[in-house]
Amino acid sequence: MSLVSALFLAFVAAVLLLYYVLPKSVRLWVVLAASLAFAGFLGFYTLLFVLVSAVLCYVGGLLAGPSKSNALRNVATVITVVINIALLCCIKYYNVLGLAAERLNLLFGATETSNTFFLYAVPVGMSFYVLQTSGYILDCRWEKIAPEKNFFKVLLFSTYFPQLMSGPMNTYANLSAEFEKAKSVKFSFERICDGAVRIAWGFFKKLVIAERAAMPVNLIFGDHQTYTGLYVPIGVFFFAIQLYCDFSGCMDVVIGVSHMLGIELPENFNCPFFSKTVKEYWRRWHITLGGWLRDYLMYPILKSEPLIKLGDWSKAKFGKKNGKKVPTYVALFILWFAVGYWHGGLWNYVIGSGILHFIYIVLGMIFEPVSKKIRPKIGADKLYFRIFQSVRTFILMLSGFVFFRSATVMDAVDMYAAIFRRGGAALNWANFSASGMDLSNLIVLIVAVLLVVAVDSYKYRPSEDEAPRSAIALLRSKGIVVLWAAFMVLFVATLVFGMYGLGYDSGSFIYARI
Amino acid sequence: MTREEIYGKLNEVFQDVFDDEDITVNDSTVASDVDGWDSLEHINLIVAVERCFGIKFTMGETTGLKNVGEMVDRIIAHLG
Repeated sequence: MSLVSALFLAFVAAVLLLYYVLPKSVRLWVVLAASLAFAGFLGFYTLLFVLVSAVLCYVGGLLAGPSKSNALRNVATVITVVINIALLCCIKYYNVLGLAAERLNLLFGATETSNTFFLYAVPVGMSFYVLQTSGYILDCRWEKIAPEKNFFKVLLFSTYFPQLMSGPMNTYANLSAEFEKAKSVKFSFERICDGAVRIAWGFFKKLVIAERAAMPVNLIFGDHQTYTGLYVPIGVFFFAIQLYCDFSGCMDVVIGVSHMLGIELPENFNCPFFSKTVKEYWRRWHITLGGWLRDYLMYPILKSEPLIKLGDWSKAKFGKKNGKKVPTYVALFILWFAVGYWHGGLWNYVIGSGILHFIYIVLGMIFEPVSKKIRPKIGADKLYFRIFQSVRTFILMLSGFVFFRSATVMDAVDMYAAIFRRGGAALNWANFSASGMDLSNLIVLIVAVLLVVAVDSYKYRPSEDEAPRSAIALLRSKGIVVLWAAFMVLFVATLVFGMYGLGYDSGSFIYARI
Repeated sequence: MTREEIYGKLNEVFQDVFDDEDITVNDSTVASDVDGWDSLEHINLIVAVERCFGIKFTMGETTGLKNVGEMVDRIIAHLG
């Protein structure tokens, strides 16, 4: 079940009805039943996977808790986390179940095209799920939380349906506190309105912008032998729009649905394309993944004995200031490799979403002292420099998106080569609009993107530690009529200009496939 | 060790890690108050504090400290 479907909206409406009509004491049971039903809608293997993983998570948490001996806690933590991640790798990256199904089919006499007995579909979105459940086991081991004795609470935490496919990632401490709070939440028309506007905004970004921006992206990335020269940066630029509106739109739907239930989820985006540096970009884009990897991967690596010893050695060798950076670089490399691998297990992801960013961040750290000296001399506090920084960061991000969108590393390299290749399609409207992007589509896209820029400009705060301003709160402050007017505008605009309907196959959210 | 004695040592650690002899911290000091105290420098600080006091913070403490006051509370708890 796609999050951008009428079926999902009907599902949410049914859940809301039961949630608020039935007694508060059974509320969380309603959410749990809805979550398992939602996993079931995603497929039998998805349901099986989340159930097995939840049992593992529950047992792992109990064994990793403080009442056991340290040796048992360590072994239990390592084994359960490794099994959890190995399950994902087997299912997703190596398609072990798919291979097994294929073999069984052959064994029972199936040919390639007929008599298939065992159907298999890869569960989608399980990368988020595995990190969140592994985080629970580690939290028990590190005594951040007490292991949960009630299995159903762990099951609810791990399968909570709005965030099951695409996050945002959460900790048990946060989410269980929200569940507790939800038990006493009263029905509020205001809450439903806020959630509805947020969901409509997500649908608008996905169906009006992302799906439309995908047209030139698919054309240019699909045929970069023909679409060369300036077409390449144009294609990557449209992909940046597509990816941002796709993923942040998905988060709007998820957070909006959860808000209606009175269960607040963390924000995953904070105006990332306004970032001044690559480091800042990653504190504003996919925020919960960055936080998870910092707390559960980078910190333990940096605090490990080998890295501390490396730090001592490098400080003695290169001096205190430079030497202390060496273990940081090592940890950052492991972190960014993991980020890239997590995105899909292929080298184009490892490079485009990992190693390339590692290089940019380390170069930024190396040149930071020089940059600090130069900045006052060139008027770094002026608006033009601020704009230059954001444009520079955006271009660096585009360089990674080339790898992210390409099918393979060689494809991405060929995309770069295509920029300088001659003899391709001439840069003109007739060739560009072959993607289906005619003038009316382009006008709709430009207006819609300007609306996103306007909303992000309002939300933006220069410090990423500061919570962004809420556009919905602003609308609400003008009165409920204004809020509903905004909802109706988004609803009608999505109905009229959205890319959906019979004969049109709206792609699933890009990050839901991860 | 009294809280004042801990702060005396802690100020030295902060000054050394962040290369700034003017730093003095108190219960309400948070990362944004100290120039250079980001997520990467945080671990260098934690390791330096551990060495100074001969203690070992858990990962929960490492990632969960809200301010320097909480850090001092944890140091006192570890020193017993």
